[in-house]
Amino acid sequence: MRIQLDGVWKAYGEGPGQFWAIEDARLEVASGDFLAIVGPSGSGKSTLLHLLGCLDAPTHGEVLIDGEPATRKSDRELSLVRRNRIGFIFQQYYLNESMTAWQNVLLPLELGKVRDRRNRATEALGWVGLGSRLGSYPSELSGGEQQRVAIARALANSPEIVLADEPTGSLDSATGGDVLAMLQSLNAERGIGLVIVTHDAKVAACGKARIQVRDGRIT
Amino acid sequence: MTIGGIAIGVATLFALLALSSGIEGALEREISGLGAHILLLPIGCPYTLTLSLMQGADTPEFIPEDVVPHVRETENVRTTVPVVVGKAKVNGELTPIYGTTDDVFRVKSWGTADLTGALVGSYAATKLKLKPGDRITVDLYSEVTVPVTKILDETQGRDDTFVFLPLALAQKVLALEAKLSGILVETENVAKVTQTRYTLAKIAGIQAVPPSEVFDTLVGLFGSVKQTLILITGIAIVVGVLTTMNTMTMAVYERRREIGLLRALGSTRRDVFALFLSESLLVSLAGGVVGLALGYAASFLLPRTSGFGIAASPQFSLAYVGICLLVACAVGTLSAIYPAMMAARTQPIRALREL
Repeated sequence: MRIQLDGVWKAYGEGPGQFWAIEDARLEVASGDFLAIVGPSGSGKSTLLHLLGCLDAPTHGEVLIDGEPATRKSDRELSLVRRNRIGFIFQQYYLNESMTAWQNVLLPLELGKVRDRRNRATEALGWVGLGSRLGSYPSELSGGEQQRVAIARALANSPEIVLADEPTGSLDSATGGDVLAMLQSLNAERGIGLVIVTHDAKVAACGKARIQVRDGRIT
Repeated sequence: MTIGGIAIGVATLFALLALSSGIEGALEREISGLGAHILLLPIGCPYTLTLSLMQGADTPEFIPEDVVPHVRETENVRTTVPVVVGKAKVNGELTPIYGTTDDVFRVKSWGTADLTGALVGSYAATKLKLKPGDRITVDLYSEVTVPVTKILDETQGRDDTFVFLPLALAQKVLALEAKLSGILVETENVAKVTQTRYTLAKIAGIQAVPPSEVFDTLVGLFGSVKQTLILITGIAIVVGVLTTMNTMTMAVYERRREIGLLRALGSTRRDVFALFLSESLLVSLAGGVVGLALGYAASFLLPRTSGFGIAASPQFSLAYVGICLLVACAVGTLSAIYPAMMAARTQPIRALREL
């Protein structure tokens, strides 16, 4: 899988209050890559990640998925790309508090009515070391464990590229190190493309490639 | 609260359908229970006079008894049943009495042809604690004492409330000698009822009315009341739609993060739309089921009278259950369309960011 940003601009707001979060971004990421996007807070790195994941649409320019413009794809086609080919990991985990760890991981598999989804959810949680916490609710898990549930959820559909937005941002350094090691092994062992947004230099140093974002521009 | 809002609308509708069906059925049963093809009544409002005849109420107008031979001689008339009704004290209790002749046995199936004493309707017998062989005192303007010859089987109609007496005795008690409240006419050839009616109407001092016409008019009158009730029910249902819409809109706002996450994980707009629509349908169906139970209970608590003085039990049918559940589903669908569209249009990352 290959995702490209081709001269992408992204504006928020309208009229005099409008500001450009991303200006003329050109970027390519493919399966097997490990790209770190660094920059200060508010520089536009998360916006860049959301554009790569088709969670947001550019104001100008094109997002190309395997060479095909995303604008030519229907909502259903883009949803299927997100469901089957891209995994998302967020800084705030975004777990459903009323569901157990296992149910949270099962959710994207249920959306796609994936075969053998119950076993796959169990396997994904086992892979992140939470095989014994299937029935635990997010409130019963530590921050590191919750992020691992979120990683298991992102991996459950066997994505080709995982987009992680500050995956260690809410964790202490030891737990953050564990999570990072887990993501590195995903890239190394499974060949999953990995894009990590971070402002942590140590995390950025793990990437095979690194881009800097400042005031909405890739430098 | 949403389930309650829908339940009230559905309950009102179910009770209305069951009660109005019961009332229409009772009206038809009572009027056909008169056993006549044509009713001869004094000059006056035919509907009031018919109801008075059915209820045993006192009326100010009467037919002179000497018209009976003219009626009997009219072509196509098979049976002529002179009737006088009114309220008198039977063993001290004010009770509707019905004076008639043996001709009544040709239009009523009572399992007896003996009107030498009193025939007592089942409800009146229970109320007055009477059994065959008892003697009753009937008193108003004059007092008479007669034996009870039979307690009639229950008909679930007005006949259950009457004490039937020989015509002359009833006239004496009510001080209506040579006067009649009405005459029931049975024809030989039903196809010629209209012609016979117009011939009878020519007799001075009477009007001839087919009971079917009275029934149609009374059902029409009740229909106007029913339409008003349906309008009120419609308002209750609209309130149910607005309540559900409000709840669903609030749910969409409160669950923006969940919607954003679902969209990020690959839910299509259609999936999100279907999710909220199905939730609304489930809530509405639950409201519909609760409403059916409430409506069933309410139809027994509400007054069982048509307003025409006719007692009517509610009549339930599976069709009414179906109609009410369909209405509940329609409420669920209508009220969910806008909130579900709003949910489906949610921009995933904006929803995740806002929270």
